[in-house]
Amino acid sequence: MFDLLTHDMLAVIWFLLWCVIWGVYFIVDSFSLGAGLLIPFIATDRVQRIQIQRSVGPFWGGNEVWLILAAGGTFAAFPLVFSKMFTFLYLPMMLLLIGLIARGISVEYLHKDENPHIQKAFTWGWFAGSLLISLVLGVAFANFFKGLEITSGGVYNGTLLGLFNLYALIGGVLFVFMSVTSGALWINVKTEGAIAAKAGDLAKKSTLIVLVLSLIFLVYSFVGIEGFMTNYSATPALYLLPILAIMASVLAVFFVKKDKGFPAFCSNLLAFFFVVQTGLASIYPYMLKSSVSLEYGIDIFEAASSHMTLSIMLGGALVFVPIVIIYQLLVYTLFKEKIKETEQADY
Amino acid sequence: MELLLLSRLQFAITAAFHFLFVPLTLGLALLVACMETVYYKNKDETWRKMADFWGKIFKINFAVGLVSGLTLTFQLGTNWGAYAEFMGDVFGPPLAVEALLAFFLEGTFFGAWIFLDRNRQKLKAFSMWMVALGTNISSLWIIIANGFMQHPVGYKMAADGSKVVMTDFFALITNNYVWYMLVHTLLSAYLLTAFVIMGICAYHFLKSNNNEVFRKSFRIAVTIALATSVLLPVLGHGYAQYVTELQPAKGAAMDAIWETGSSVPMYLIQLPDSSIGSNSVQLLGIPGLASFLYTGNISGTITGLNQLPQNELPPVEKIFWSFRLMTILGSLFILEALVGLYLQKSGKLYTSDKYLKLLMWSIPLPYIAITAGWIVAEVGRQPWMVYGLLRTANGISSVPTSDVLLSIVLISALYMILIVFEIYLIKKTVVNATGVE
Repeated sequence: MFDLLTHDMLAVIWFLLWCVIWGVYFIVDSFSLGAGLLIPFIATDRVQRIQIQRSVGPFWGGNEVWLILAAGGTFAAFPLVFSKMFTFLYLPMMLLLIGLIARGISVEYLHKDENPHIQKAFTWGWFAGSLLISLVLGVAFANFFKGLEITSGGVYNGTLLGLFNLYALIGGVLFVFMSVTSGALWINVKTEGAIAAKAGDLAKKSTLIVLVLSLIFLVYSFVGIEGFMTNYSATPALYLLPILAIMASVLAVFFVKKDKGFPAFCSNLLAFFFVVQTGLASIYPYMLKSSVSLEYGIDIFEAASSHMTLSIMLGGALVFVPIVIIYQLLVYTLFKEKIKETEQADY
Repeated sequence: MELLLLSRLQFAITAAFHFLFVPLTLGLALLVACMETVYYKNKDETWRKMADFWGKIFKINFAVGLVSGLTLTFQLGTNWGAYAEFMGDVFGPPLAVEALLAFFLEGTFFGAWIFLDRNRQKLKAFSMWMVALGTNISSLWIIIANGFMQHPVGYKMAADGSKVVMTDFFALITNNYVWYMLVHTLLSAYLLTAFVIMGICAYHFLKSNNNEVFRKSFRIAVTIALATSVLLPVLGHGYAQYVTELQPAKGAAMDAIWETGSSVPMYLIQLPDSSIGSNSVQLLGIPGLASFLYTGNISGTITGLNQLPQNELPPVEKIFWSFRLMTILGSLFILEALVGLYLQKSGKLYTSDKYLKLLMWSIPLPYIAITAGWIVAEVGRQPWMVYGLLRTANGISSVPTSDVLLSIVLISALYMILIVFEIYLIKKTVVNATGVE
């Protein structure tokens, strides 16, 4: 299979797929994360909590699998990167894991018991899990764009505190607000009644915050991050990525002003996707860039699996990813009606 | 050394915890899918109630299985980084395929199944079938990955010896070990499901609440229990012989056979002691039984632990006791299933309080048997992580010991909360189901 492609070509293809899979994960999970970030603050009673829960209930589990695919794909296509990424960032990864567990259990168990204290605990569990997930991933990816403190021989010298530098914090906050906006617009589109209106109002502010944060983050990236410009200078067409990101973010502000929830939602997703791609485009050919010296980074050619593994995986991805996308979209159409104010939790 | 121990401890805790939820998921997914389909076909309310009740249990159980599975994927990188680098070329693809083929199916259709109402019964039943398909396919792919660790096939070593490189993907799938293990794992999962159902039904029968939902559920479960409890040792016998050929040390440790010999007896009472390299007590030997079990021939020759390379032996006592525990429980399951079937056929079931109580208290037993079985399979592979290729000690990530300690504490605390709450919810669901509606 794919014998015509050289190993290097396969490695590049897999790097591109890797970027896309991460991008897809960020956007498809953003609205359930956002719903979690918002639920303790905007839902005033049980009815509204159920509306929010039901708006993401049928979808969040399938969407989270994109993260597992991203991790599994990294493992299969770039084992060295998988190993180093998770080892270097041991504690952040554990925080992410705890966030994922807390979120998953909270969404599923939110209304399984009538005790209001337990419901309150799971409401906050959903919030805390969502916050951990979006913040840790934002901080982690900003650090990937900036480069990790990898020194000669692949030795990692970074510290947990060092990961929370200004640039990474902006990245983290940006990811959180991307998710908040996505969640607010989703609730606005998928529900009826007071909660929908409240979420729509909130989105008016948060789309602006996202626009401002995106501008700051992108400007910081291009001006303040060493080596960020290299690929852009070599291939100016890449500038399309940040331009699309900003355009989408502006469109989100525009649509939300016009009370067009769904176009605003889509624009915000695109903005999120292209911000991530802007960063990922800057690190090629590295997957784990070194902030100490470029030569210490781990590049895709060194990390890639064998020709056979890469081509089998590519074949699998080309056949099954479209099938997955089709049935996931079909499930969205099964639950296309708006969620009314109801007492029925269905959980 | 401490780091190795902690890394192994964390993996043992998280893998065992995850597998407390997997078997019931595998079995109930199929059963609930059947119930949904029968209800769709005949519109009989009993089947709708059955699907609702067992579906509720399924939902509670599935959620914990889902989140605890994430930990295992993460850990391969965080704690077993050297292993990930060594094995990525071979181990990564089954994992990625598992996500693509199985996790997406279960994740996507689990949500659909929950939220589809009975007006769309056909789609609801279809969704549950997709969940069942996803969970069962998932077990195939993870066992393909595990199969390579037990019996490496379809690979070559990289030129510098630093890692394995895949040469034949098809060989990974047709690895005989995989199919022995898969059948054993799935059968034991269905057995566990049957015993959980019987135990819950027994609770209601004891409360004189023998409505149609529980009676029907019991009839189905007891049949599954009998079939699986008989098939497990019958097929397990072939599996044990096969494993003994592949991994002589594991096979010999399962029955603590220290010296090479033919017509080896099996002792009903036996206390192995690895510090002296023999049994400190052995009584009531059945001549040739061990030879028959591990070679298929009562005069067959078994290589003893003392004749195998001494630096490649697993911890014998752990394997021996786990294997004994599993087989003793396995025999008990056959008896319980037989008695259950007899009582049910003769109509005495609902008044046989002692048997019903026994069934209730038997709910934890298949969980214990399955955990013991995994200990035999995975601890029995030690000191190898990948049999014959990579030692466990060489598979770990070099991370600060304190970080691993911290993560064990955090994860264990979280898991304690999860399991307590999970059991609370299931218990509540069972108790409240008196008049299942």
